[in-house]
Amino acid sequence: MNTAATRRAFLHRLGVSAAVLPFVAGLPQLQAAHTKAPKQRIVFMFSPNGIVPSHFWPEEAGVDFKLKRILQPLTPFQDRTLILKGLCNKVRGDGDGHMRGMSCLLTGIELFPGNIQGGSDTPAGWASGPSIDQELKQFVQSRPETRTRFGSLELGVAVPHRADPWTRWTYAGPNQPVAPVSDPYQSFELLYGQMKDREDLGSILDNVRDDLRQVSRYLGKADQQLLDRHATLVRDLEKELQTSHKQSLAVPAPQLEPGVSADNDDMPRAAAMQIQLLVNAFANDMARVASLQFTNSVGQAKMRWLGIEEGHHSLSHDPDLNEGSQEKLVKINVWFATQLATLAKKLADTPEPGGTGSMLDHTTIVWTNELGKGNSHTLDNIPFVLVGGGLGFKTGRSIQHELTPHNRLWLTLAQAFGHDIKTFGNPKLCAAGPLALS
Amino acid sequence: MEHTRHVAYLLALLLLVTSCADRHSTVSNQATTSSAQGKGARIYRDQCARCHGPTGEGVAGKHDEPLYGERSLESLARQIERTMPEDKVGTCVGEDAQAVAAYIHTAFYSPAARARNNPVKIDLARLTIRQHRESFADLVGSFLTHRVATTNGGLHAEYFQSKGMNKKERRSLERTDATIDFAFGEGSPAPDITADQFSIAWAGSLLAPDTGDYQFRLTTPNGARLYLNTDLAAGDANRRDDSDAKRQPALVDLWVSSGGMVREGLARLFLLGGRSYPLRLDYFKFKEKTAAIKLEWKPPHGVWSVVPAEVLSPERSSSVAVISTSFPPDDSSVGYERGTSISKAWLDAATKAAVEGATYIDDRLDALAGTSPNDTNRVVRLKAFVATLAERAFRRPLTPEQRLTVVDEAFGAGVAPELAVKRAVMRVLGSPHFLYPELGQSTDPYTVASRLAMVLWDSLPDSTLREAANEGRLGSRPEIGEQARRMMADSRARAKLQEFFHHWLALDEAEDLTKDPKTYPGFNESIRADLRMSLQRFIDHVVWSESADYRQLLLADYLFLNPSLAEFYGASMPTVPGFLPVTFDPSQRVGIFTHPYLLAAFSYHKSSSPIHRGVFLTRNVLGRFLKPPPMAIEFMDDRFDPSLTMREKVTQLTSKETCMACHATINPLGFSLEQFDAVGRFRTVDNRKPVNAESEYTAPDGKVLHLRGPRDLAEHAATNPEARRGFVRQLFQFSVKQAPAAYGSETLPRLDSAFVKSGHHMREALAEIATTVASHGVRPHTASR
Repeated sequence: MNTAATRRAFLHRLGVSAAVLPFVAGLPQLQAAHTKAPKQRIVFMFSPNGIVPSHFWPEEAGVDFKLKRILQPLTPFQDRTLILKGLCNKVRGDGDGHMRGMSCLLTGIELFPGNIQGGSDTPAGWASGPSIDQELKQFVQSRPETRTRFGSLELGVAVPHRADPWTRWTYAGPNQPVAPVSDPYQSFELLYGQMKDREDLGSILDNVRDDLRQVSRYLGKADQQLLDRHATLVRDLEKELQTSHKQSLAVPAPQLEPGVSADNDDMPRAAAMQIQLLVNAFANDMARVASLQFTNSVGQAKMRWLGIEEGHHSLSHDPDLNEGSQEKLVKINVWFATQLATLAKKLADTPEPGGTGSMLDHTTIVWTNELGKGNSHTLDNIPFVLVGGGLGFKTGRSIQHELTPHNRLWLTLAQAFGHDIKTFGNPKLCAAGPLALS
Repeated sequence: MEHTRHVAYLLALLLLVTSCADRHSTVSNQATTSSAQGKGARIYRDQCARCHGPTGEGVAGKHDEPLYGERSLESLARQIERTMPEDKVGTCVGEDAQAVAAYIHTAFYSPAARARNNPVKIDLARLTIRQHRESFADLVGSFLTHRVATTNGGLHAEYFQSKGMNKKERRSLERTDATIDFAFGEGSPAPDITADQFSIAWAGSLLAPDTGDYQFRLTTPNGARLYLNTDLAAGDANRRDDSDAKRQPALVDLWVSSGGMVREGLARLFLLGGRSYPLRLDYFKFKEKTAAIKLEWKPPHGVWSVVPAEVLSPERSSSVAVISTSFPPDDSSVGYERGTSISKAWLDAATKAAVEGATYIDDRLDALAGTSPNDTNRVVRLKAFVATLAERAFRRPLTPEQRLTVVDEAFGAGVAPELAVKRAVMRVLGSPHFLYPELGQSTDPYTVASRLAMVLWDSLPDSTLREAANEGRLGSRPEIGEQARRMMADSRARAKLQEFFHHWLALDEAEDLTKDPKTYPGFNESIRADLRMSLQRFIDHVVWSESADYRQLLLADYLFLNPSLAEFYGASMPTVPGFLPVTFDPSQRVGIFTHPYLLAAFSYHKSSSPIHRGVFLTRNVLGRFLKPPPMAIEFMDDRFDPSLTMREKVTQLTSKETCMACHATINPLGFSLEQFDAVGRFRTVDNRKPVNAESEYTAPDGKVLHLRGPRDLAEHAATNPEARRGFVRQLFQFSVKQAPAAYGSETLPRLDSAFVKSGHHMREALAEIATTVASHGVRPHTASR
């Protein structure tokens, strides 16, 4: 009940619940007009608590490299993968490492001073600027040829129901965190709820007319007229609904299996559903930008389905010498890499609607993390793994940068989108300009 | 008033424009004419029918107003003598006038004649907007523990010393806080708490006075979350807010502070009046320099202010299922809202509301149906839930056929149980069995229960009523009356009575009370909101006192004032916050007549309006009948001699005989309130001349009363039978949404005499109305088992 109850409130916040949308007035445009220029899409995927460097980073730089254990699920996509080592979150200021790791990751800018404290570090508040995904959303939505119904989608898996700098990584602006939708049914409601309600309505209106006919028998003439009018209007509404049904989607809404909770133990099923919904929404061109957030900074996923009972964050604090814990951390990260591979595969398996190649050819997935390594809480060598095409980067490479502010990567992405900004986040951290990835 | 304000009422004669009678016209259907009335009938046929039609229905192009009204026989005769036939006034006098008046009065003119000629029946009616919203709230509420907060005075508060960011280390203080408006500065909020880190948890309920959109504003430089109308689950009680506990979304979330900056969070929520809503406010300070928190609201008809103690309760209450879909206004062309018409806009709204309602239920399904996702009996329980929900929504047990179509068919093969529930709920909420409370079924105990709940609450029967219906304990008038009296004590009856008074006093039509700021400086938004509250307090005080005496509404010599109103209206009172009764000179202020809110509502922008005041008094308070004005004439102040008083202007404007037919009634009533200006302040001078508030008023019985001012008027109203019957009639129409005569021509007189017997007890009147309506058509020997 707890999670379900949030759904309506959430939709209300977005202003898209069935109650507020005119559901007969015609669908909002579900598909932007096809344009000549190929579509560009981007997905930011988050997992927490750092990685295990020795099982993550390829030894080699360049095109000839071998995927280590954690990244092995990406083998089918190795030639479309770009592994960027040496990028660092250089944003300093208030907040502990986790907090800055999370809230400065996509924003590249300092946190405001605040009242949220982790450990004994200085307390802090929200990020003081927008995140790169929201920056790109604003950009694509500002141009008619790239504008879509939502612009961006913020999805999550097992993100806790609380808002603080550890649970939010995307920001619409200073002090404006954006809450991810963590319940697949909520995502469905957001994307297709209006249509679904209409379908359901269509299925009951016929019965309503039957009921009206039935009860009418017991009434006098004048009263019957009232019910006749009611029945006529119901009939009209049915017709309107049928007409509006004709506006179809490029791909149909996915069928979700029922009864999946947004809790820890249902993470694998919830993740599969969110990924399916995301690919489906892209195929229907509802958005060009997305984020997919697995748990949160300091996330405590207990991956019992892998035989791991301990919480992820607790494990990440164990020393390198604790082989048991390291092995579990590797497995956890393999699981996250598998989710990335699943997303990539679904995109690769779907032909680009109205274009050439597959959807993966027009989509770049960026997998990243709040930390470089859990037990040191370092913000250096944060993992950045890019999969897919569409931004003109030369993929199939492992690049080892000298310790470089990650702001420059966001600047590179923005420019690849045609968004000609010169800095992103803290300008000082972009002084050297974009990275050479093409 | 359904008329535009600033428009004067110039009413033409009730009996009008008879031209030369055609003596050769054929006699029409006058079979009812008795020999005693023969003369009157002949005169009518010969001299009147040509313009008024053979049975007073009017003649197009001549005089198309139907000939009916509420004048007494004597008054009617006098009117005929004075004005008829129009071209030969003076030819129909004395016995002739008496005879024709008697004929007209008996044949078609009087209310009794009209009731006889056009018998009123009970119209099939769908739920009104209010009935729809209240019914859904109670439908969902019936599956939860019903907890209503009744006391007020503030919120329960717990003050804690924190350890670290927000770990509640030790409770140092527990008390009730009247309002949330604290500036702790750099200090500590309570002894024994350090200034740098502490937290406060406020909990209780918000009592919503009216139905409508509420806005809330939370202001703090620290961390705070406001929850309203949310059932907080077990995890939400965990106050360690850095925990992973799942929780409900906050209405306003200002949990994370930002550099000590004072931040504001705004939210809007649609609430049903007369209900209590669970409220919790969590607050903490952690190392910011200063600490402060303020909770404000802007209720419907109100202004931004700190949420006052009188709407805050330390008691917990259960959440309320509020449908926020907006409906088109209900038909109120007959003077009260009723559900006797269907439009596309209404069907769209009702259908949207069905989706909204089904979604609401779907979101809370397990809690409402008493099941859980892993329940092996889940489908069985969900089916039972749907069946129970349908029974409650339909206000009677399901037929086997309904059980099949509404429940079993929904849970078809391959349909997920949650979807089945959602569809079934939509179907229930879209069904005529829900939307039309009475569909011509026999008058069985379920019909009785449904009528009681509709009349008293605008809602569905509660569990006590349902049980009584099931056990056949609603078969006799005493049993029904007992239930009605039990139900009167419920907050829903209170809310309904409040709505009635808003309707009776035309409060919802008088939204805009703004006046010319140059003429009335200081009559600002906040004074206007306070006035509305003051009137509400007065009505509550009288209606919910033990005697609940209708005459007190008319005769009380006090107003409820707060210090700012007292200052504006020149009264003295102790400067304590809140409203207190303040006694006035009894010759100046008397009951609702002289409440400044109504005086201001029935005024022009710059001046009083005896016409608006008079029409309101005639129709609503004295229960007299006025036809709509045949022509509306704008009151243009600059057309008059600038030295005239308002009274003189109105007298001049309405001096024509055609106007005076109605204005002879309206004006003297309005003039008796001329001692009050457009904002309801007492005055003795208007336009530099002394105010003349004395007038001659002709009562419905034809007696002429000399009114010396508001008190004479009030005393007349308090003792006048037509006024009293008018009150009972309006209460009936508002609560039942049908005409009293539809329940038999003796209904209103009986209710009226019961009202007198009860000492003019208004709550008793509503209970009696409910009992009468609910018992209608009940045959004791068949109704009880």
